[in-house]
Amino acid sequence: MAEGRPQKKRKLRGEALTIVPLYLFTLVFVAGPLVYMVVLSFLTRAETWGVVGEFTLENYADIFQPVYLQTFWESIKLAVISTVLIAAIGYPFGYFMAKLPPKWKKRAMLLLMIPFWTSSLIRLYGWIVIFRANGVLDTALMGLHITSEPLKLLYTYPAVVVGMVYALLPFMIFSVYSSAEKLDFSLVEAARDLGASPLRAFFTVSFKLTLPGLLSGVVLTFVPSMGLFFIADILGGNKVVLVGNLIQEQLLKTHNWPFAAALSVALLLLTTLILFLYRKVSGVKDLEGLV
Amino acid sequence: MKKLLALLLAALLLALPLAGCGTSGGENGELVLYTWENMFPQEVLDAFTEETGIAVNYANFDTDETMLAKLQAAEGGDYDLIIADDYIIETAIAEGLVQELDTSKLSNYGSINPVYQGQFYDPEDKYTVPYGAGVQTIVYDPDLVDIEINGYADLWDPSLEDNVGVIASYRVVNGMALKVLGESYNTEDVAAIEAAGDKLLELAPNIRLIKDDNTQDDLLSGEIGAAVMYTSMVTMAKMADPDLVVVFPEEGIGFGVMGQFIPKNAPNAEAAYQFMDYILEPEVAAQCFEYLGYYCTNLDAEQYISEEYKSFLTLPEEIDTSNMEMIENVSAQALEVHDRVWTEFRDACGQ
Repeated sequence: MAEGRPQKKRKLRGEALTIVPLYLFTLVFVAGPLVYMVVLSFLTRAETWGVVGEFTLENYADIFQPVYLQTFWESIKLAVISTVLIAAIGYPFGYFMAKLPPKWKKRAMLLLMIPFWTSSLIRLYGWIVIFRANGVLDTALMGLHITSEPLKLLYTYPAVVVGMVYALLPFMIFSVYSSAEKLDFSLVEAARDLGASPLRAFFTVSFKLTLPGLLSGVVLTFVPSMGLFFIADILGGNKVVLVGNLIQEQLLKTHNWPFAAALSVALLLLTTLILFLYRKVSGVKDLEGLV
Repeated sequence: MKKLLALLLAALLLALPLAGCGTSGGENGELVLYTWENMFPQEVLDAFTEETGIAVNYANFDTDETMLAKLQAAEGGDYDLIIADDYIIETAIAEGLVQELDTSKLSNYGSINPVYQGQFYDPEDKYTVPYGAGVQTIVYDPDLVDIEINGYADLWDPSLEDNVGVIASYRVVNGMALKVLGESYNTEDVAAIEAAGDKLLELAPNIRLIKDDNTQDDLLSGEIGAAVMYTSMVTMAKMADPDLVVVFPEEGIGFGVMGQFIPKNAPNAEAAYQFMDYILEPEVAAQCFEYLGYYCTNLDAEQYISEEYKSFLTLPEEIDTSNMEMIENVSAQALEVHDRVWTEFRDACGQ
């Protein structure tokens, strides 16, 4: 034992050294830009380009103009709609996937992962091919004599929702799956033996035990869906303005960097608040795979 | 040993991003050309290298704003020749990042079309040489549109409900409404811009999509019947379907110019002059513009443009060039109103 100690210490120092680049990286590329953004959000824009170092709160005051508040509201609305749909599809999917025989489990997992090998942008353009006038869906529906003319599905709100659900669904499936896989089915059997109906057994045992998976799935889909503005651009024809679009526009077109920074800080605070509320309300301390 | 390995790995991790920064040059040095993707046919770049022995290092940006931020970080160095949009050049000049041109080094300087010279961003042509111009035009498919479109005002027609596509630039779209109301694209009058915003809210039911790239595909697939597009898209649309109708709006034509300039501290300004002069040669310019699909800013090159492309790359003779107005930089205050009005318009389109 006495000999083991210095060696352990040395080993620890070696480990610490290998971690240093990681910490440096995080410090420089995560904390750095964050601080920069917060500082920037209190500065004044220059007339044509860049910023001047004068302190102001006006950037934050500007967020409260009705049109920009509306943008936040639209973002939250779209995120809620997407998350509810994703949970409704993803929960049963992940749950039953965990109950598959091992061989099929692996296959299902592989099938879910394969699309990720292609860039998400290209997959979104795939939806354009399906949705566009006289596209795949139109041709099929007209071929089956269900509709008689092109439906104009592309560049609509439902198209954006479909894109969101499609892009984020796997996150829900995987987190529910990892939770459900750990579920001890003998507990469900015990509940059944004690006279619970299948539904009651599910809600009192299975659902409660897989709740952390569902909730982390919700976090993993809700938070990114606040920022996935390119889906609204590509499938929604730019007609749904989300906070992400607004930030991009402030940077590239209006050249109002401080306002863009203020919007980013507001978005960050909003997501943090939602996460906080969510942990308070749900009472779940352990978010599967997170925290 | 392990510690050494750990240290080495750590050092490697830090050094990796720095790798790959080596440079390679031709026998007579290198030209760092900084512009959007697909601005030149590869044959022209190769022929230039062959003729002068100067290798072309083609660096890309995706937006003008990225370019200016990088040029500023490099303090006007790093790049030898930049091609970007007019309005950002005005800012770059104001920021002191551009050097004055010595036009005596450009033997083909006289071939530039004067229509595109002396514009707001460089009124005395001290800093820039134009390379292509874009005109915002309306294109429509007569099979999908019941009316005859002559100008912007026709886009408000109720028969076009959910059938129109516009560019995702608020200066262009808000500008359309300003023009319909008889104002200038570049008005600083906040009330006028707000009035244009109200006018745009009436247009919202007709808007099916707002986007900057590949709008021609939506027109060709029948997704929309009419669109306000940039010149390169118009060229692609007309090449694919000659039955489409191109309209130069009667309210007045807005246009933009792409300009070439040499940054203040360009490492190899001589190479930049040689390249500028090379692509000003009328035959070379014709080759470039057929590839680029924008209006040809080289008057002498027009005769070399093939008949197939001519109507897309040169302004029709009946166009009154005095009726053309460029979209210029406006004050921060006006820009903020533009932005607010535009966001309201897009929200209304999505309802």
